[in-house]
Amino acid sequence: MKLINFEFLKLRKKSRGWLGPILVFILIMTAFPLTVEILNKNLEQAFFSILWIATLLVMMLATEDIFLEDYNDGSLEQMAIKYDSLSGLVATKIFVYWVLIGIPISLIGALYGFGITRSSESALQILPILLITTYIFLNVFSFGNALSLTKGSILGTLITMPLVLPLLVVLGKVVIAINLGISFLGFLFLLLGILSIIILILPMIISFVIKAHLE
Amino acid sequence: MIKKFIHQFASPKTYLFQVDRAYPYIFYASLFVYIGSLFWGLFLTSEDFVQGNSYRIIYLHVPASFISQSLYLAMAFASAIFLIWKVKLSAYLVKSIAPIGAVTTFIALVSGSIWGIPTWGTWWAWDARIISTLILFIMYLGLISLHDSFTDYEKADKFLAILVIVGSVNIPIIKMSVEWWSTLHQTASITVTEKPAIDASMLYPLFGSIIGFSGIVFCLVILSSKLQILLREKNKSWVKDYV
Amino acid sequence: MKKILAADNLCYSINETKLFQGLSFDLFEGKAIHVLGGNGSGKTSLLKIISGLSKPTRGSITKSNKKNVCFVGHKNALKQYLTVEDNLSLLEVDKHNDINAFLKKLELSKLLDVMVASLSYGQQKKLALLRLFLNDSDLLVLDEPCVGLDRKSQDILCSFLREQKEEKKALIFSSHISLDVDSEYINLDKAIS
Repeated sequence: MKLINFEFLKLRKKSRGWLGPILVFILIMTAFPLTVEILNKNLEQAFFSILWIATLLVMMLATEDIFLEDYNDGSLEQMAIKYDSLSGLVATKIFVYWVLIGIPISLIGALYGFGITRSSESALQILPILLITTYIFLNVFSFGNALSLTKGSILGTLITMPLVLPLLVVLGKVVIAINLGISFLGFLFLLLGILSIIILILPMIISFVIKAHLE
Repeated sequence: MIKKFIHQFASPKTYLFQVDRAYPYIFYASLFVYIGSLFWGLFLTSEDFVQGNSYRIIYLHVPASFISQSLYLAMAFASAIFLIWKVKLSAYLVKSIAPIGAVTTFIALVSGSIWGIPTWGTWWAWDARIISTLILFIMYLGLISLHDSFTDYEKADKFLAILVIVGSVNIPIIKMSVEWWSTLHQTASITVTEKPAIDASMLYPLFGSIIGFSGIVFCLVILSSKLQILLREKNKSWVKDYV
Repeated sequence: MKKILAADNLCYSINETKLFQGLSFDLFEGKAIHVLGGNGSGKTSLLKIISGLSKPTRGSITKSNKKNVCFVGHKNALKQYLTVEDNLSLLEVDKHNDINAFLKKLELSKLLDVMVASLSYGQQKKLALLRLFLNDSDLLVLDEPCVGLDRKSQDILCSFLREQKEEKKALIFSSHISLDVDSEYINLDKAIS
């Protein structure tokens, strides 16, 4: 509980950390209609692809200094001395990032979905998918940025982006299901399953990686 | 017990001497098998009914794709051994397999591309198998650049091993990609469980080429791991004697 | 006398280059050890091993109370974009009984609502040292604690360390400046063979 409060305090006071990614997301989503002829049917077709890619990119940017700052100023060092495992801290950090960045972006994404497809149903369907996807992305990119901790986020992205690409295929299938009006619950449970495995395993791996960095 | 056993047999020194002895046999045997199968496949079999002569690139394409995925699995296996038992030799192996994996994946991509021109009429399609092979290629490059980024070998080895293991979740996806998505690419011609979908006259040379090609790549891995051992253990006295 | 820490045949190397080897010593409660050695002799590595961040390449470290270590390193663990007050709560010292006394002593009590980024290096260092002054550990590990401190703060630090020794805490530190604390010496330059 104390950890959650601390992490909230740290992220909240750093507006570029949480507001920045949200604004970048809005910018991308606003910019893309410019590249498609407005009032064109293409807009609707391209919308979901842009949505997933924008979410992916923004989550990548958002996790850029999720551990770097704490590593540079020595907070991680102190935490590692105090606790046997850092996985609690890691999981808390990712959760806080999800609450302050992932949830707003999911809501905004669903709102854009409503604005462009004009169907409140598909906007509501897209929301849970976005909530889960953002959480998965945050976890995976945190892992990448933990590996490349002192070496910049380009490396982190290069090594973790291939890991989430299969997920994009699932997301593509979700969109097809939504467009055709088929039940997408199967995909929702699939994503939930992936998420729960990731939540269980990745924080431990990330903790191991961070400890290796501190040596 | 197991730990002691592994450490004894996996000392870089023992490995190097064993491998030095076995290397020429493996190399010439696989070269012989590969060239033999190529000869059989290229000159002694008939044309494919649909694809004509162009299918014959299969003797490069299939072995290369097969070995590019197998190398990744080998890396994952070695990484697990390194992380669990702290066997340094397996860390050297992981590091030395990565560039070879990248090269074989590249060969698979290029040969596939060349094959695509006469059969699909295009050298590149956004097809599931091609994309996933491309991703595998990028994963190999990512592994190489991750290891290169760290000057402290101990950290570099650890991070590389972790990434290899986490990344191995993608391998079954790459394997299954042809079945899961509707795509241009034909499904695998040979599977363990089912009767092969191609004629025996093509099958035997294909098998031979896979075995021969794998053997040659295996020899490359041996050479590259030798280099790795000599580089990393250059301060040890036995290396000085060896050189 | 209780033994707080026992180091047995420690060896540490980076990329096969040995920093030190065959290092054995004991640390008892109420005692202090001053680690000496030139640049790159492995002082920081040794202190990191003792605090539990790194593992020695060979040899072993036994601590009587594993998790009860206070480590002050080169890094301050301060958040530049937060106020002093927020940082105190992140350091988990804001509820401590002696906090106000120490803030006054270190001349920080008027700066509570100032952002850490606008403090000077020495002031930040003093703020970071609060974690040491308000600790409840029985092993204190200090890596160059005097860098950037003015004479007065150094004196406060030394007198605090002397007090801690009387309270039966164990102390191990590296410092280029000699500290006014009775201690044994370990010279890492001699620990290479």
